[in-house]
Formats: sequence, C-alpha cells, structure tokens
Amino acid sequence: MHKTYRLGRVDVPVLRGVDISVDEGECVAVLGASGSGKSTLLHLLGGLDRPDKMDAESGIHFRGRKLRDFSSGELDRYRTRSVGFVFQFYHLLPELNVLENTLVSAMVGKNRISWAKEKAACTQRAEMLLERFGLGHRLRHRSVELSGGERQRVAIARALMNTPDLLLADEPTGNLDQTTGAEILDAMMALRTETNQTMVIVTHDTATADRADRIVRLVDGKVVRD
Amino acid sequence: MPLLAVVAVALCAAMVLIVWSVMGGFLNSFLASGRQMIGDVTIAYGREGIPHYQQLMDMLEEHPDIDETTPTIETLGLVSLPFGESKDVVIVGVEPEGYDAVTGYSDRLYWRQREATGDDERRREAVQQAVENGADFSELPPADIRLDLPEGFEIFGERLLVGDPDAPAGAGWESAAVMGLRVSPFNATSEDGFFYPRFPGAFMPDRSITIRVVPFNRRGGFTTAGTVDREFPVANEFVSGLFQVDSKWIIVPLADLQQMLRMDATERVDPNFTPGADFVNGELVIRTPEVIGTSPARVTSVLVKAREGVTADEIEPIVKDIYTEFAALRPPGTMDSAPDAEWMRENGIYTWKKKPGLAEFIRQVESETVLILFLFAIISMVAVVLIFAIFWAMVSEKTKDVGILRSIGGSKLGIAWLFLRYGLIIGVLGAAIGGTLAYIIIRNINPLHEWLTHLTGRAIWDPAFYLFSRIPDQVEPGKAAIVLVSAVLCSVLGALIPAVRAANMDPVRALRFE
Repeated sequence: MHKTYRLGRVDVPVLRGVDISVDEGECVAVLGASGSGKSTLLHLLGGLDRPDKMDAESGIHFRGRKLRDFSSGELDRYRTRSVGFVFQFYHLLPELNVLENTLVSAMVGKNRISWAKEKAACTQRAEMLLERFGLGHRLRHRSVELSGGERQRVAIARALMNTPDLLLADEPTGNLDQTTGAEILDAMMALRTETNQTMVIVTHDTATADRADRIVRLVDGKVVRD
Repeated sequence: MPLLAVVAVALCAAMVLIVWSVMGGFLNSFLASGRQMIGDVTIAYGREGIPHYQQLMDMLEEHPDIDETTPTIETLGLVSLPFGESKDVVIVGVEPEGYDAVTGYSDRLYWRQREATGDDERRREAVQQAVENGADFSELPPADIRLDLPEGFEIFGERLLVGDPDAPAGAGWESAAVMGLRVSPFNATSEDGFFYPRFPGAFMPDRSITIRVVPFNRRGGFTTAGTVDREFPVANEFVSGLFQVDSKWIIVPLADLQQMLRMDATERVDPNFTPGADFVNGELVIRTPEVIGTSPARVTSVLVKAREGVTADEIEPIVKDIYTEFAALRPPGTMDSAPDAEWMRENGIYTWKKKPGLAEFIRQVESETVLILFLFAIISMVAVVLIFAIFWAMVSEKTKDVGILRSIGGSKLGIAWLFLRYGLIIGVLGAAIGGTLAYIIIRNINPLHEWLTHLTGRAIWDPAFYLFSRIPDQVEPGKAAIVLVSAVLCSVLGALIPAVRAANMDPVRALRFE
C-alpha cells in the first residue's frame, strides 16, 4: 500500500509499500515516530482516505473485498458499521452531551423512521457502554465539562456503539497523563478480552504498543519489523 | 451568526411584503373606488355637451348587456362655505336615482342614523344633548359619531333634496348638494379613521353653501353673461376613498346645474331677428323674435353600467357602436347635432380605467410597483449573499465536526442536507418572523404613519398625491405566500454552496483542522 500527498507542486510520499494483515480478534499496535505515516495508515484502513492505485492487487482488503471496489454508499456504511475510530484529540461534538455524542454514530445513516424505531434500544446500549466506562453519572454533561480521560472514554463508547468489526485507535493515550492513559488502555484491553474485539492501535509509545498482540514498526512509511 | 441570518431574512421578507401590499393594495382600492364613482363606461363630450341624451340612453338600455345609464354634467366651479371659506371644486350634476343605480353612490353617503347600541346609551344621550346645544364633537373621544346622530336626523342626499319628511310628497322640498367629506375644511379625522366636525356649527348637513359656475355657449366658449351663483342646502356628505373626488366633488341635481350652465332645453328664436319696436295701430310694440324651435338639453357625459357578469371592456365596443347609430340620427350642422361619431369613438367613449387622468395614473402606479419590487428584489439578494457568507463562515468553523461526522460514516449527501436543512430552518423562521412583522406593520400602517408624521412634522404619504386618504392596510394571502416562500428559497439558496463545500471536504484534512 502506497500513499502520496501532494503539497503544492511537490509529491510527498507518506506510505511506501506498507504490507500488513490483521486477523480477526487480533490486537495490532503500529509503532512509529511522528511523521512515520502511522496516522495515514489508520485513515486508509478506516476508509477515510484512499491509497494510491499501484496495481490490481494493491489496496486494502476487508474480509476478502477490496475497499477500492466499494461504492460511496458502501464506504459510508463500512465506516458506520464495520469500523470504529478513537482519536488522540477525542473529536467529540461540543454542542452535544455525553449521551448524544455516543448516540450520534448510531444515528448516522438512519432516516427519521428507522431511528425512531431503534432509538430506545440504542439509548439503552449507549447508557450501558457509558456506565461500563464509568460515565453513568455524566450522561447529560457536555464534553467541555469533562476531563481528558472522560472525553476519551466517551469517544471509545461512541466508537463501540455500532459493535464494529474493527476498532481503530489513533494515539488513544497520547493526550493523557500516564495514569489516565493507563486506565484508558486497561478499559480497552478489558473490552478486547471480553468481546474479542479486533483492534489496530497507532502509537509512538512503546508501553502502549506492548499491550498489543503484535507490534508493527513503521519508519518513513515502511514496515521495518512485524 | 444564525440569529443574524434569521434577522436578515425576516427584514428582507417584511420589506418586500410591506411594499408590495401597500402599492398593490393602493392600486386595487384605487380601481375599486374609481369604478364606483364613474360607472363602467363613460360617453363624454366636454363643455358643449351631448344633446338628446335621453334618446342615446334609451338606445343603450335596449342592449341586453347594458344594465343602466345615467346623464351627468361635470364642470369646474367655486364654492363658498360657511365661516368665509371658499375653494375651487368640481360640480357634478346627477339624476340621483339613475346615478345611484349606475354608481351605487348612496352607499357612500357618510352621515346616517344608525341603531344606537344599548351599551352605548349613556354616550349616545350625551352626544344628543351636545348636538341640541350646538354640538362640540371635537371634545368627544374618537369614535364613529354617526352612531350618535340625533334621532330626528334623516338620511338626506339620496334624492339630493332636503325638506320635512312629514310633509306631503313634493311639498316643501328643495334641491340640495352633497359634498365630498374633504371639501369642507371643518371635517377632521379621528385616530380610528372616522370623520367628525371640528367645532360646533361645522356639521355641514346643517348648513348651506353657495356654488358659482361659469356657463358656456353651445360652441364651448364663454358667454357674456358671466358667472352664475346659487345657494344649496347641504343634504349630506359622501366619502369615496379617492382623495381628489372627496376633496373636490360637490354633487347637485342635474336639472339645477343644467339651468345654471344654460344647458337645459331652451326656445330657439329666428337668428335674423333685429331688435327694435314698431308702431302698430298707433301703439309702440316691442318686437319679439319668432320661436323657430327648441334647443335640446345637454349633458357632458352619459355613464353606462354593464349588466352583472359583463365587464367594462366587453361593453365598450357595444357602446361605441350604439353611439355611432345615435350620431347618424343626429347629423352635423344643426343645434340637434350629436358630437362626431368618429371623434367620440377615439376620444369620448372609454372604460373607467381609461378615463383621462385615471389611465395615466393607473399605468404610473403599476410601473412604480414593478420598479420598486425590482429594487427590493435586488436588495433581497443581499440576504442571499449574507446567508451565503454566514454559512460559509459556519462551515469553516465546523470543519472538524464535518470530519468527525464523516469518520463515523456520515455521507456527503447527509452532510450537505445538514447545512441545507439549517438554511431551511433559518428561512422558515425568518419568513415567519418577517411575515408577522410585515402583517403588524401593514395592519397598523396608518397609525404608524400618523406617529411618524407627528414625529417628523412631515407627511410621508401625501393624500393629495396618492389620492387616498388612508394607506392601504390589507395583506393579500397570495402575495404573502409568494414573498414568504421566496424568502425560504433564498435562504436555502444562500446555504447551498457552503453545504456543497462541506459535503466535499476531505475528512482527513477536516479532522486535522485547527
């Protein structure tokens, strides 16, 4: 998999022939320094961006299908149902409260009628997830009223809302202090143990990477050790 | 920012709706009032008048599409009012019953006795007392004082006569005048739009006026006789809504005006007669001219009313044809000659809309309305641009949120719809507020105008120019719907490009946006 960005007149290659595979139920850590292309890799995996087309076989394969062959609607559905994103900077919607931020990923792609039908069940699941992450008492709080750790737990709950096949976490502890970061990681690992959740965690922190089943090292857009 | 957009949409919608309603309402009421005072089609021939008009009217009324006809005379004159006031006016001579049948003028008579309501009894008694003691209406609270006219007050004016209603028919009745309510400077308007006399003794139906007219000869020139004056008791006053009519017209019986203007039927004498005296059997006998016929009575116009369901435009050619037939019976060269048919077809027969003076005015108002709407439509584009700018800024501000929504599966269409829906809500809110604002302003435009006039000392709506004493204050639902739907569409249009921009954002870049 290759990915090159164009900056003005200059082509900047970010990924130069990355070839990795993730098994179902596996937790893979992508370890790399800043600028090594690990976030780009995650965006490509999550269908937020498309890799360069090098040959017929290059690209991302998800359960035997190439993401490149997905229609725009299928790609949207892939992001909604198959993938859950957790970002370093949480990326919560500031106007919404904790419960709404969690529910928003369930609302996406549904019309009013189907949402009305599923709202009660979704709310129940969101509350269950938030309770599990210790936020049961903060459902009506807005994200600005939360600490960094709490915000990241809301982001994880949102990512898990649609029970995705793949959880993609981009530096999930990168913006947190060590203790809070460890708590977040504990929560994620506990979840993995319980639900056998497939995960790709991008990090520059070896301690975080060590919690994964497998570590992929990325240097200058290439996998140096798998 | 969204609040700003709502305000912009509301103001633009209100502005356009107010202008359109006032100008359009003005034109509508103008057309309606104009028709009520002058009938559907007019046959007019200046000062010389139309002879044998009764024959013309009979011929017209034989046609199934023509309902009624009536003769009138319109001439310039002067009126001498009580308290030494005098002014130039238009004296209109009519046959009351026929004129009423054609124009429905009796509905426009202002002073009439109405059933006093029980709950207004105390006030009614006070007013009755005041009237008996030389009423001072100006001290009364603003209200329709007509409700309070004393029991004995008769509705005069329908027959243009005043007299004792208990007297036997025809006895003791005399010709009277009915004036436009604004002819007399002594009538004031209350805040509620009702007229009342400014001071005791100013109630015109209690007074007499003197009218002065200038008779013309049969060729339309001045006579050596000079002016003719005559005193008329005032039977009533009328209000048509047309300022020029209400401030200028005095209606009197046709026969009286014909007499004053020497347009009545007279004996014709030998034109070769030499005045002088002869000795006959030793006695001096003054020569008398030989009567060789009669000169017919004349009127300056015949008003025609179409049958119910027939338009003025439909009967105009019929009237022209009948007039041509009539003119053929009265060939030129005699005192009985009718005005030339060809000339009359071109200049003398017209529908009320084409009446000289009115036609230019109607066109003027119509083009002014279009021009003003065009200007305001351009101004309204400002609202579109403003919404565009606001939404552009909003999309920029929400770039990261767009990235978040895309990352959780939000489709491009969904993102675009999100902003378009926002534009729609702003449009609907703005249109609702603007529509309400416009409705309140239009319904209260007259009190508002009075307040502004009071504040600035300058009347913005000059009745002398706009002909109407009151600014139209009706909102037409059709116009309101067009303006409000346009406001919503403008708002959505303004949000369209920013919405497309949001939809096409690269989610990765959007997520990295700071």
